[in-house]
Amino acid sequence: MTREKILEELKSVLVEEFEVEESEIELESDIFTDLDLDSLDAIDLVVNMDKQLGVTLKGEDAQKVRTVNDFVELVLSKA
Amino acid sequence: MSRRVVITGVGLLSPIGNSLDEIQASLEQNRSGVTYMSEWGNFDGFDTRVCGVVDWYDYKQIPRKDRRSMGRVALLAAKSMMDAIEDANLSSKEVSSPRTGISFGSTMGANETMFKYISQIAQDSSFASQTSMGFLHFMSHTVSANIAAMFKIKGRNIPSCSACTSSSMAIGIGYESIKLGKCDTMFVGGSEGEHILNAGIFEIMGATSTKYNQTPDQTPRPFDSERDGLVTAEGAGTFVLEELESAKRRGAKIYGEIIGYATSCDGEHITTPSKDGMESVMRLAIEDAQIDALEIGYINAHATSTPKGDIVESHAMYSLFEDRVPVSSTKGYMGHILGGCGVVESAIGLIALRSNLLPANKNLVKVDSECADLDYIYTNRYKEIDIIMNNNFAFGGINTSIIIKNYKEQ
Repeated sequence: MTREKILEELKSVLVEEFEVEESEIELESDIFTDLDLDSLDAIDLVVNMDKQLGVTLKGEDAQKVRTVNDFVELVLSKA
Repeated sequence: MSRRVVITGVGLLSPIGNSLDEIQASLEQNRSGVTYMSEWGNFDGFDTRVCGVVDWYDYKQIPRKDRRSMGRVALLAAKSMMDAIEDANLSSKEVSSPRTGISFGSTMGANETMFKYISQIAQDSSFASQTSMGFLHFMSHTVSANIAAMFKIKGRNIPSCSACTSSSMAIGIGYESIKLGKCDTMFVGGSEGEHILNAGIFEIMGATSTKYNQTPDQTPRPFDSERDGLVTAEGAGTFVLEELESAKRRGAKIYGEIIGYATSCDGEHITTPSKDGMESVMRLAIEDAQIDALEIGYINAHATSTPKGDIVESHAMYSLFEDRVPVSSTKGYMGHILGGCGVVESAIGLIALRSNLLPANKNLVKVDSECADLDYIYTNRYKEIDIIMNNNFAFGGINTSIIIKNYKEQ
């Protein structure tokens, strides 16, 4: 799985499920302060990415993530 | 002097309109909100195809972080709350005062979410694919919890989930909270979202209407000899209740004054209604209102169009009013909103008070010979009245009765 593919899916989930404006999503965007997600959203983001990419992520993984790039790295490490 | 409780805001979503004016227009034009549900044909041995459905799907009116934990039942309630706050012209400071509380209920949480959630977990033997929101959609107090969070309520929050008395009980809880000085303002109401499960639980008991699938506007038929059961419906409503002096200070418009409320329990059968229980709760409400029974000018009956329930309720009313008070059940227009029926039907009482329209029992052609000899309203009647009573009853033998009067200074 490529970094580009993960980023593409992550953007898609953030836009479709969390109604984030696509133009606001940068690799260094903080998903909490910049994209306005909260701790419940972070758990659900993990569940959604798990479904989209078929990787096994756990809720506690979300607690370590701050930026979009952190999330991409997390998925890469599990893929 | 006892604290007086007035209604200063109304928000409604019903199968016959999403405001007092729209509902009044439907009543005046004898318009039904019951529709044919073609998608219900996929279930074996399930015969009813009729339901009252609300025309409102603009969910993005609710901010995402509030909306994410809501199914349709809470979304409808939230919209009615938005409309009621706007109608009452309350500031956000007033809404979030520690002296402002809420009471809301529904029969079910979000059935549409529960259906998917439980079947997926059973299929997977795993919770892994579930988001954190599922439970928040279908938990028993999903309506009151979501509304409290969305509107930043800081006072009491008393869920009133008691099936078909959920919203009438909420009105009663609000009335008593203000009367006893616990709050100055209460948002009260209830909701129900359409789903085949709601119809299914009644169909199992043989209580749904199945003969009028091709002519949905002819069912349900409260008190009629050709009635064949209830029709489930969705809808929601919110009343803003305020202590009178507080309402006057801010120049609020006043729809009516709640002067009496009672709730009681049959303590008998889990589903079969009791004439004594129904009669008792009406008598208690009249005592609370300190009026004579015959001062009531219109009764909105619960009558759901089931064979047994309508008969029992008619005899309970006869024992107090004989044939001297006009009676109708307005479920003939829209079906049975379950957790939302109490507030929507109380709102129809407000229409009667403001416009003198006593709405007909839609679809009542010939009264069942087993029903008592009441003053049934066959066609819309226009009569000046001062006081209305709204009754609702629920499984478990739970009874509620609300009495509302045109507001007068003394």
